[in-house]
Amino acid sequence: MILKRYIPIAIVAIFGSLTLSAWFIDNETIETFANDDATQFFDIIAAFAVFLGALNLLKLQFIKFIKKQKGWQYSAISILSFFFAFIIGFFIRGAYFVDDKVFFTQEAALESIIILDVSKEQQEEPYKVQENSFKNLSDAKDFAIKQNLITPVDWGAHVQKNGSLFQWMFKYIFSPLSATMFALLAFFVASASFRAFRARNFEASLLLLAGIIIMIGRVPAGGLISSWMVMYLIVLVSGLYIHYLKKKNNVTIIFTLAGFILVTIAGMITGWPIDKPSIFYLPLLQEWIYLVPNAAGSTAILMGIGLGIVVTSLRYIFGLEKSYLGE
Amino acid sequence: MIRNLENLIIKIGDVDRRVIFVLIGLAVLIPLLTPVSLPIRETPTTVKFYEGIEEIPKGSKVLVSFDYGPSTRPEIHPMNVAVLRHMLRNEHKVYISCLWPDGIYMALDALEDISDEFSLKEYEDYVLLGYRPGAEAVIKGLASDLRKVYTVDANGKFIDDIEMMNNVKNLNDFAYIYSGSAGYPGTFEWVKYGGDPTGVRMSSGTTSVQVNEVIPYVRSGQLIGLLAGMPGAAEYEKLVESPGIAIKGMAAQSFAHIVIVVFIIFGNIAFFLKQKKERKYSK
Amino acid sequence: MTLSAMIGAWIAVFLTLSIFSYLYKDNPFYKIAEHVFVGVSAAYVAAISFWTQIYPNLLGRLFPKDGPLSFTGLEFDFNHSFNILYVFPLLLGLMMILSVFQKFNWMARWGIAYTVAIAAGLKAFGYLNSNVLNQVSASVVSLFGENLPFFNISGDSVFNNIVLLLGTISSLMYFYFSKEQRGNFGKLTRVGIYFLMISFGASFGFAVMGRISLLVGRFRELIAYSEPSYNYSTIWLLFLIIAFLFYHSIREKESNT
Repeated sequence: MILKRYIPIAIVAIFGSLTLSAWFIDNETIETFANDDATQFFDIIAAFAVFLGALNLLKLQFIKFIKKQKGWQYSAISILSFFFAFIIGFFIRGAYFVDDKVFFTQEAALESIIILDVSKEQQEEPYKVQENSFKNLSDAKDFAIKQNLITPVDWGAHVQKNGSLFQWMFKYIFSPLSATMFALLAFFVASASFRAFRARNFEASLLLLAGIIIMIGRVPAGGLISSWMVMYLIVLVSGLYIHYLKKKNNVTIIFTLAGFILVTIAGMITGWPIDKPSIFYLPLLQEWIYLVPNAAGSTAILMGIGLGIVVTSLRYIFGLEKSYLGE
Repeated sequence: MIRNLENLIIKIGDVDRRVIFVLIGLAVLIPLLTPVSLPIRETPTTVKFYEGIEEIPKGSKVLVSFDYGPSTRPEIHPMNVAVLRHMLRNEHKVYISCLWPDGIYMALDALEDISDEFSLKEYEDYVLLGYRPGAEAVIKGLASDLRKVYTVDANGKFIDDIEMMNNVKNLNDFAYIYSGSAGYPGTFEWVKYGGDPTGVRMSSGTTSVQVNEVIPYVRSGQLIGLLAGMPGAAEYEKLVESPGIAIKGMAAQSFAHIVIVVFIIFGNIAFFLKQKKERKYSK
Repeated sequence: MTLSAMIGAWIAVFLTLSIFSYLYKDNPFYKIAEHVFVGVSAAYVAAISFWTQIYPNLLGRLFPKDGPLSFTGLEFDFNHSFNILYVFPLLLGLMMILSVFQKFNWMARWGIAYTVAIAAGLKAFGYLNSNVLNQVSASVVSLFGENLPFFNISGDSVFNNIVLLLGTISSLMYFYFSKEQRGNFGKLTRVGIYFLMISFGASFGFAVMGRISLLVGRFRELIAYSEPSYNYSTIWLLFLIIAFLFYHSIREKESNT
């Protein structure tokens, strides 16, 4: 109980209070510990947590594979892929430099340096490295290595180096998979737009209208839509609404016609500028919606989240919240 | 005839979703295959961002953070490349950090994109600090003592052996912080633990999904302007006069948006007609 | 074009098209790509985390060059001096790893507790300062000051300031659930809901924008890999996958009938 419950609670209370108080206490020891070492500890433990995640994943996939559960063949693929990437990451440097060129293996790098000269003059010592000739390939390789003609990348830097094997794996395996998984969402968003987004009430209509104006106004195509076109559209939609309310054709026709005539006269007088009246020009309308009413709502949400996080953090520090223990 | 039209609209409203997938796929693909040039109009937040960088005294130290991965590369990468161009044109010394593990490769790609243009020399024009896990703890560490977080750079070279790192102790020694951010950790963490506590001027480029959440920081001045998604990147490319992939993608983006708006409107019309029909038959 | 780039391009296209094949329906190509992603990403993140954090910052501080533990033969020269305190994260980290075994499940709690503690301590101040105090301060603006016009669609104006203030207060009031939202208070919160709906609508618009941008990026890459320099990899693989899925769906229909 002490090890499983009270010590973790004590850890949260002590280190949480220390970190929080470091913002307010002007003491060099506390500040140095909280700002430097404590955060370093956090980073290191976070790195170990990543390993824990990887091990748990392997455990689950192995269980599925060994017990031949449904889809065990795919678990085998998961396990193989994991070990493929693990070996590249931990056991293979994957980057050997010869001047500016990078090779995945030392052998490939050596091949680029050692020239096989089969001319009559070089039959005795056909392997050439720079100006030196050698009888055997192995002698040529030893010379190249001893002369430091090949620079292997440092361990640690091999996962952050351009042209390395690890970077190749990132570029051609991890990157396309990661990017495509997210790109799939575009299709589902389009499908949801068609099948699910319904203006069932005033609030939903407001949401959809704001969304549509932002979507059209933010892209270059929105700038090509004249404000007069928007005004005509508003007259048309208002006419439809009047028809829905009054259900009288002549009222609808008169209203719509009057609206069209008014807009046309106004346009002819002003010379049909694309962005005037600015309230109907989508890019400007979109900007106003984004920077004024939308910003107000977003600010309120941000403040609400902020207050919630502060309270929750204090609850964790005071030991009132123990969800991290699974309680 | 109107009844036939109504029935047709209702029938189309129940179409298989795979037809919608094909339509949206074509809406994006066709403009990419047959490029169309559209006029780009800068928004106030992008202009503010640009002016914010112009105000930095020439030759200053700036921190650029690559906080995104390949999943959000189409949105953030063009803006980060344009920001690096802008910074280097103004002769700033660039220090690159990454809060995402993939960020380091994004940074390497961005540097490769502009390397020839500026004849970039590592440790003279830029320092690639690299990635460190820990999110806000990393930023807090940087705000206090950079050398506790980074003892070596991405190449494994000791920080103390890098001349450009002389007189750089923590975030206060930078004139500007920029984060190209795709989520957590990113803009929010940089504001809370980097910009606000130190008072260093900062701004950010974010994915479109995050833009709305970040606007309060722009309004309050905690961020000086903002680059909002791929359209924001396109606007910024126009301002720095370096047209790139963001501008090229705007035609496809525009066309796809129009198609989605048509879907929404059409879907709602079909929905209301169906409701009207059901009410009629239930009477 | 190097051989590694060519092989890489074909692998990338295959994996991309396999993920996209899910749009037709769940199929073996998608499952293969999904499981490759799961395996590779786990090892990738583990490798990055180890070499960028544990290796320089933990091992470098426990086994520095010429440190007291150099007799073990382990030395990692990262310009650190020996710091005994770093045994603490090593201990917690190893406990986390051991928690993989059912019997030692509880051991992860210590490491989790530490991360919760640091996160709570950082976030309590960070959110209060940046999300609450700075935002309140920014909301307190002079409504009528400095010769502002009454209305300006693309700049500061009196009208805009009033809308911002009204919107922020009414939206915040909506989240106050300790009082029943009726009467005048109910009217205020209703206005708040409208502002929140506009905000959600804008979020929806931006979300669509983001997703389409990602799709543009993927299609652009597929188009690049369809060029002759990559031996038309996109076209060949697209044809092969479509042919297989077509054959697969016919076989399924036949086995169903």
